[in-house]
Amino acid sequence: MRLDEYIEDLEPDEEAERRRLAKEKSYAITDHIAEFERKFDDALSGDTLVGSTAPSIFVGRSNYPDIPVGLLSPVGDEDAAEEYVTDDSWYRRGYAIDDVLQRRTGLLNSSKRANVDSPGIASRLAPSVADVWDGFVGVQREVAIADRPVDLEIGLDGKPDLGLDAGTDVATPRGPRATARSADLTENPHVPRPVKKTLEDDDWQAQGAMTYLYRRGFDVYEIDSILSAGALGQAENRRLVPTRWSITAVDDTVGQFLRGRIENAPSIDEVQVWENEYVGNRYWIVLAPGTWEFELVEMKAPGSIWNPDPHGDVWMASAAEGYEGRSGYVEETAGAYYAARLGVLEYLESIGRQAKCLVLREVSDDYWAPVGVWQVRESVRNAFEGEYGAAETFHDAVSAVATQLPISHARLRRKSELAAGLQSNLSAFGTN
Amino acid sequence: MFKAIVSAETLSSALDSVSVLVDECKIHLEEEGLAIRAVDPANVGMVDLSLDAAAFESYEADGGLIGVDLSRLEDIAGMAESGQLIQLELDEETRKLQIQIDGLEYTLALIDPDSIRQEPDIPDLDLPAEVVLEGKDVNRSVKAADMVSDHIALGVDDAEEYFYVDAEGDTDDVHLELTEADLISLQVGPAHSLFSLDYLKDMNKAIPSDTEVTLELGEEFPIKMHFGFAEGQGQVTYMLAPRIQSD
Repeated sequence: MRLDEYIEDLEPDEEAERRRLAKEKSYAITDHIAEFERKFDDALSGDTLVGSTAPSIFVGRSNYPDIPVGLLSPVGDEDAAEEYVTDDSWYRRGYAIDDVLQRRTGLLNSSKRANVDSPGIASRLAPSVADVWDGFVGVQREVAIADRPVDLEIGLDGKPDLGLDAGTDVATPRGPRATARSADLTENPHVPRPVKKTLEDDDWQAQGAMTYLYRRGFDVYEIDSILSAGALGQAENRRLVPTRWSITAVDDTVGQFLRGRIENAPSIDEVQVWENEYVGNRYWIVLAPGTWEFELVEMKAPGSIWNPDPHGDVWMASAAEGYEGRSGYVEETAGAYYAARLGVLEYLESIGRQAKCLVLREVSDDYWAPVGVWQVRESVRNAFEGEYGAAETFHDAVSAVATQLPISHARLRRKSELAAGLQSNLSAFGTN
Repeated sequence: MFKAIVSAETLSSALDSVSVLVDECKIHLEEEGLAIRAVDPANVGMVDLSLDAAAFESYEADGGLIGVDLSRLEDIAGMAESGQLIQLELDEETRKLQIQIDGLEYTLALIDPDSIRQEPDIPDLDLPAEVVLEGKDVNRSVKAADMVSDHIALGVDDAEEYFYVDAEGDTDDVHLELTEADLISLQVGPAHSLFSLDYLKDMNKAIPSDTEVTLELGEEFPIKMHFGFAEGQGQVTYMLAPRIQSD
């Protein structure tokens, strides 16, 4: 489809969707918290949360290396515990911001502080969590490597704090929190065979083990939690990894693996524009023939999260890499960069091609609460469906897309490395 | 057969100008001197280097070819103090390079040259503009551009007859004009191309500030940069593919 027709086709639906989203913008979360409080009182026996089940974990990063290590459990909705796990199914089910916040705020985070590599006396001589399978950290690690929610009892220290505080783009809004004293398993967790393999091989570097799990069909969400619990990598290096860092590490590691798979692949042969919109975020992905090059440019509307002044200017951030990737962490765009790059690389690897790729992320003021970086990953992954808009040249495509953006083409060229110019290679000038 | 004695500075300059693009390279041990040609994995930047036999204290070679890990060799050369001499000798049987620095002996395992990326052909480009300037002016341009942007435009205004440098950043701009009077020489022609500063910054590191640098430029064409080192007995040509603005 020609790019102009593609863009024309998008508009009516997307505009309607925007209005609908804006209407839905709701702050009914407080009702939800009241209900949670009631359920919580029912589940408490003395100061122990009985009959609980934990589908996942959360490792904080405050006061690193003495960090809060948490078990997340849906209180009063144990049977549906699976649905509280952040993964690609949230996108597939079309969760809106409200749905995400309800899930998140329905999860009690029972946490205890622990040192990342020496949570107990035994591990102090040779700092590593490789052999830590008892105590609170041990239980937490069992939950992380299991492929289904694990039944347990959690001993709490005092009442939970039910306050809903806005989290961040990566870390997600937090639900109620409690300080834990202890945790005990009431069943044997089920651990999938490939996870056992990476767990038992204590001479296997973390990057290789993560890639292995990905190739065995584990999605990055599952690998995040395994890495976070220090359950892969060389034994002496195993430590607890804050959730936020592990998400980026896994996106980056798997992305590098996929980039390696396409580095000698033929290029796509036409300029393609793909669009997707989800929870107040709109993505434009421009793919052009040539060797791998990637950039994420973010435009955050005034009044959206991270750019709260409703009368301010659109806030922009960008980060890029060339054929050989980048050596430093991105200074702007942070975890969204690695999540978006993963989505694009998965698509290119699936068609066995390489390309130059510009991802434009427009955050509208409908994005009133950050839901987490999974939103970026899933929106980009799922953008490559149906038809794309075709353009003659990369710069034609960028000009056409620029008319749909909240900023001028000139401003985009100033901010974006790729919009300013695409890296050519010497073979285009008669060398090999 | 290869046996040579060279000053630490000369060897380091030669290696540094290649290692900005590649991690390993082939070195031709010709009778008249060393020659290295390499292109980076992205095929964006290329280097062509020669170091004449006259740049060495002593030099004997008969046309061999070796493959080296550049960062290893740079580290070893870095062990020498300024003014010290480095002695290099190829052991044909073990295919190792014997390196001696004032009693310190280092045996460097070589890399099979066939396992190293193929050497590029030097493209025969007819670039319309030629600018000769001092290394320190290249340095100044690259440094200023890097403060505002990730790329830099180099061009020649053929009507007004000056060489210019432009960098456009997020909010700030850098512009520099050098007329013939500011330059060593200027041959005007239509030229304007955009380049990645990632590459130019690295290449700039290898350019001595007191050397003469010749830039050859065209419109959305690769740039060629020639300069000498080791008192003119070493020559480097860099070629860098542009970032394309037009299509």
